[in-house]
Amino acid sequence: MQRRELIQWLLATVAIDDLFAVGREVHRRAVPSVDATLAAAAERILPGATQAGVPAFIEKMLADWLTPEERAAILAGLAGLSDVSQLESVDQANPDWYARFKFLTVYGYCTSEVGMRELGLWPQPWRYDGCAPVAG
Amino acid sequence: MAAHQSRADFDAIVVGSGMTGGWAAKELTELGLRTLVLEAGRPIVPEKDYTEHKPPWDMPFRGLGDRRQMAARQSTQRHSVSFDELSHVFWTDDVDNPYTTPEDRPFYWFRARQVGGKSIIWGRQVYRWSDLDFEANLRDGIAVDWPIRYADVAPWYDHVERFIGVSGQAEGLSHLPDGPFLPPMQMNCVEQHIKQRMQEKFGRDRIMTIGRVANLTAALHGRAPCHYCGPCQRGCITRSYFSSVNATLPAARATGRLTLRPFSIVRSLIYDARKNRISGVRIVDAQTKTERVYTGKLVFLCASALESARILLNSGVANSSDQVGRNIMDHIKWGGASGDFDGWTDRREIGERPNGIYVPRFRNVASRHPDFLRGYGFQGAAGRDGWGAAARAPGIGVALKQRLRQLGPWSMSFWGYGEVLPNPDNRATIHPTLVDKWGIPSLHIACRWGENDLAIHRDMNVTAAELLEAAGAKNIEHPSGPSVPGGSNHEMGSARMGRDRKTSVLNGWNQSWDVPNLFVTDGAAMTSSGWQNPSLTYMALTARACHHAVDLLKHHEL
Repeated sequence: MQRRELIQWLLATVAIDDLFAVGREVHRRAVPSVDATLAAAAERILPGATQAGVPAFIEKMLADWLTPEERAAILAGLAGLSDVSQLESVDQANPDWYARFKFLTVYGYCTSEVGMRELGLWPQPWRYDGCAPVAG
Repeated sequence: MAAHQSRADFDAIVVGSGMTGGWAAKELTELGLRTLVLEAGRPIVPEKDYTEHKPPWDMPFRGLGDRRQMAARQSTQRHSVSFDELSHVFWTDDVDNPYTTPEDRPFYWFRARQVGGKSIIWGRQVYRWSDLDFEANLRDGIAVDWPIRYADVAPWYDHVERFIGVSGQAEGLSHLPDGPFLPPMQMNCVEQHIKQRMQEKFGRDRIMTIGRVANLTAALHGRAPCHYCGPCQRGCITRSYFSSVNATLPAARATGRLTLRPFSIVRSLIYDARKNRISGVRIVDAQTKTERVYTGKLVFLCASALESARILLNSGVANSSDQVGRNIMDHIKWGGASGDFDGWTDRREIGERPNGIYVPRFRNVASRHPDFLRGYGFQGAAGRDGWGAAARAPGIGVALKQRLRQLGPWSMSFWGYGEVLPNPDNRATIHPTLVDKWGIPSLHIACRWGENDLAIHRDMNVTAAELLEAAGAKNIEHPSGPSVPGGSNHEMGSARMGRDRKTSVLNGWNQSWDVPNLFVTDGAAMTSSGWQNPSLTYMALTARACHHAVDLLKHHEL
């Protein structure tokens, strides 16, 4: 259920027509310098994000998944950062673009091989225990 | 067989290879009939097409699905609860397979076209009906009486359950009969707690049991027990849950009498007026769009409730009652409640249980509810949130990373599935102009919930909260329902059984009143909807109808 709720949150209030805009070109042409900021911001939000391949996942989502408005908002937000150390205060204010970016960062990490092994989510136990002790 | 003298291509033709088509194939071939199964979609090769063990990082969108593809090609199908980035291939393309509804009355028609049909993506919950259900229309003066009772179906429930494998707990309830269960799955700590509290407060009136599910908890007929990996809707290489691909079709194939033809979309049935029989089936090859006819002595429609009605309506047969396409029912859902529990913070679930708990119907069982007829059951589950909450909580850096490991509180949800009354105005008709990619006329589907259905939905919210309160839950919330009709994927009733040929399409053997060698054994045959997940009953009725049809054939009565 959890994943579905997250998807619904991500999909909330999207006009379907928006989805057909060609993403990758818009992204590349509009903000050529954003990639380095993107990676630095993801790493600042979640240490280890780079090693887990999170920036590439976010770029994929920007190019092929988010609507033009969502994408533009995230790119503008990243472009507006003069330094990633600002992210602590942005996190407190939690504007919409940032909430989406943070979600993508966490989601990308927690569904990566590095992240899932780190969190003990992979390999799967292949058994069920409904009342197991919490480790550690 | 005694009836081999005719020159039909096959003894029997089965339309559809899913939940009921697989059963018809198995029973008919095992009874000696050379059987052709026509499947509209592609073949399925488990080793290639099943993807349940693929890790998230091997999916381009990590399980979130290809949003543009969904919007462009599967804008209806994506609403199914088991639709995801990998399982989406098991639903149809909405552009190739259009249908319409009135603008203010959406209807989700979830459709599957591949060998195995929806049996690959079903929810696997299996519950027997009882005479509380089979007598309901008669008792309430609603629609028409079922022509059968529990005693007619009980041996066939046994027959089906022994083959598919059902794990569950016997409870001795007369309105939810037990079967030959495999060992039950385990309830987690919080579910056990809630069960205990419900027992203290409600006694035997409202009980909680572990879901009865067609996932094996012990090896059966060469199929391995479930290993709790989670996404059943993507297939199951160990064949641990029942699907026609995993069980009935291999059994049919083993007889040497099965011919399975994928990519075969049935355009119409061919009616021989002189003999008053269906002489054959006209198909369109899905790949080449060429037409071809197959002849058979018997025809079983197992194409899914609405698809079978569409075939009948497009063929202009078996509808002297004018009931084909009418009385469409689903189960009304998105009523219930969820709440949080303090405690058990040192406990968690390990593994993915493909099953939840079940609260059998308690309304209008022993007493009469003032607001509505019939009732509903609750499915549900307790669990703890993982890292998802961290994504939305404040904090970054090391603090956020720590938080990813923290589990949220235990929460418990109850989701109701409510009985929907048959209404002749909830109806599918052939669209005057719209056709599918293969030129076959499409359906226009007009359905809405009735007052009784909505009263049931409201009551789900009330009683689910009572259950949670009895168990000490906090932060009780309700879903935003009711669901869109069709949304439970339990659509049924569009060619109902009955006792009178003037008011029903099928007799008590799923046999057409009008054309004796035509049987319809999918959800279309249902005279009322019950409150239970319906597939088990469809399967039992199919097996029963097959044995009857073969008896008739042997005695030259077809």
